[in-house]
Amino acid sequence: MDERAVGAAAKDAVARTHGDYGLACCSIAFTVKYLNAYTGIVLLRCRKDFYRLLWSALPFITYLENRNQRYSCFFHTLHVGGTIRTCQKFLVQYNRKQLLLLLHNCTSEEERQSIQKSLLSCCLKEVEEEQSQSGDEEDDCAETD
Amino acid sequence: MWGTCHCSGCSWESPGAAVATARGALRSVSVSLAMRCWLAGQGRGSGCTATAAQRRGSLAGCRHQTTTPSMPWAEPGLRRTRSAAALRRLVPRRFSMAAVFADLNVAGAPERKSLQSLLEAAAHLGYSTVAINHVIDFKEKKQEIVKPISPSELFPSLPIVQGKSKPIKIVTRLTLVVSDPSHCNVLRSTSTNIRLYDIIAVFPKTEKLFHVACTNLDVDLICINVTEKLPFYFRRPPVNMNIIISSAAERPLELRGPYDVANLGLLFGLSESDAKAAISTNCRAVLLHGETRKTAFGVVYTKKTHRASEEEGVLPVRKKAKTEV
Repeated sequence: MDERAVGAAAKDAVARTHGDYGLACCSIAFTVKYLNAYTGIVLLRCRKDFYRLLWSALPFITYLENRNQRYSCFFHTLHVGGTIRTCQKFLVQYNRKQLLLLLHNCTSEEERQSIQKSLLSCCLKEVEEEQSQSGDEEDDCAETD
Repeated sequence: MWGTCHCSGCSWESPGAAVATARGALRSVSVSLAMRCWLAGQGRGSGCTATAAQRRGSLAGCRHQTTTPSMPWAEPGLRRTRSAAALRRLVPRRFSMAAVFADLNVAGAPERKSLQSLLEAAAHLGYSTVAINHVIDFKEKKQEIVKPISPSELFPSLPIVQGKSKPIKIVTRLTLVVSDPSHCNVLRSTSTNIRLYDIIAVFPKTEKLFHVACTNLDVDLICINVTEKLPFYFRRPPVNMNIIISSAAERPLELRGPYDVANLGLLFGLSESDAKAAISTNCRAVLLHGETRKTAFGVVYTKKTHRASEEEGVLPVRKKAKTEV
């Protein structure tokens, strides 16, 4: 997965759904903030006023194109937040839940132990976490799977 | 706000709007079925920062259960008015209780593996109920309406819905593609296997049939395909119509998450609450309607009177399932 490919696919979808106006609105401050190829988490950022345009265009993405290779995929919106920090907080909780699910489904013993170790480490860290301050950003971030 | 109650005490527009079918005819059924409304929202995430306690308090008067929505829906945003010629896809979705999302149209593939992967994807996305659809087209040679495959036989272990601890619920659905009034006779016959399906849907190809379906036929759903140009127009603007959206997905990649589909409803011109209802409450109404069709054409209340043997309110079996209990 490539950041540019994801960004291009998202812009293309917005152009197809909402036309030139939509494309212009969403491209003002549009970036792909975070991309994790292993878990498939993408963090998109756009202007707060036009987040609905982007959000409604995301289901229309059916494939990602990278170096002339098409990968079929779909976007599942997990969280829409006002700041990147809230999205990150959500992502931490989401990953924790996914780890629990993985633990439930995993097959081999070593996998189980490694997952348990990572679970314990992240749960203990939560206790020590300091309170985060909310940012004052004027953007909306969409976290998608 | 994501999640408003259907009872008359709350701030919903029309308590009778929670009608069981897209026809809008069975206004009383859903209410008298004692449908418990749930606030939409899924059980994942930290929960809405809004005043969930307030909401619960305000709804304490009605016999409804509430759950806190987990997705922080923002302000209404773009509200679009519905236009008369707006074509919507009346795809059924599986119905689920509050925070329960349903996808009522999942293509019933003959292979078990692909269906299994589809169900797993649906469960992962958060759908609590899925209806496996079988399409019967009468234009071709006479097809036998086969018995629906019992889901319990197919899949010994159903995938668990993400965010809940229950496994996904599978329901069977039959879609009849009708292009001729004579095709509708099969619905009235009681000897076929139609009764074994949980949901019956009809896909009219002509305007007349559409009207017939809306008024007379005893079906749970009326399908409209919005990808092709309709051969007819809606005579009446579909206001206050119960609309559901479903996927008709054949592969797991064609599924979309419930909130994304609600957004698609916004694109179609539905209001925000309608869009959310399209994948949760309306679908539940469809399922309940299907159930009433199976058991009796309405609701039977039994009241204890001083004559203990009397039963009150038994409804006659009628073709038109207009029930008022």
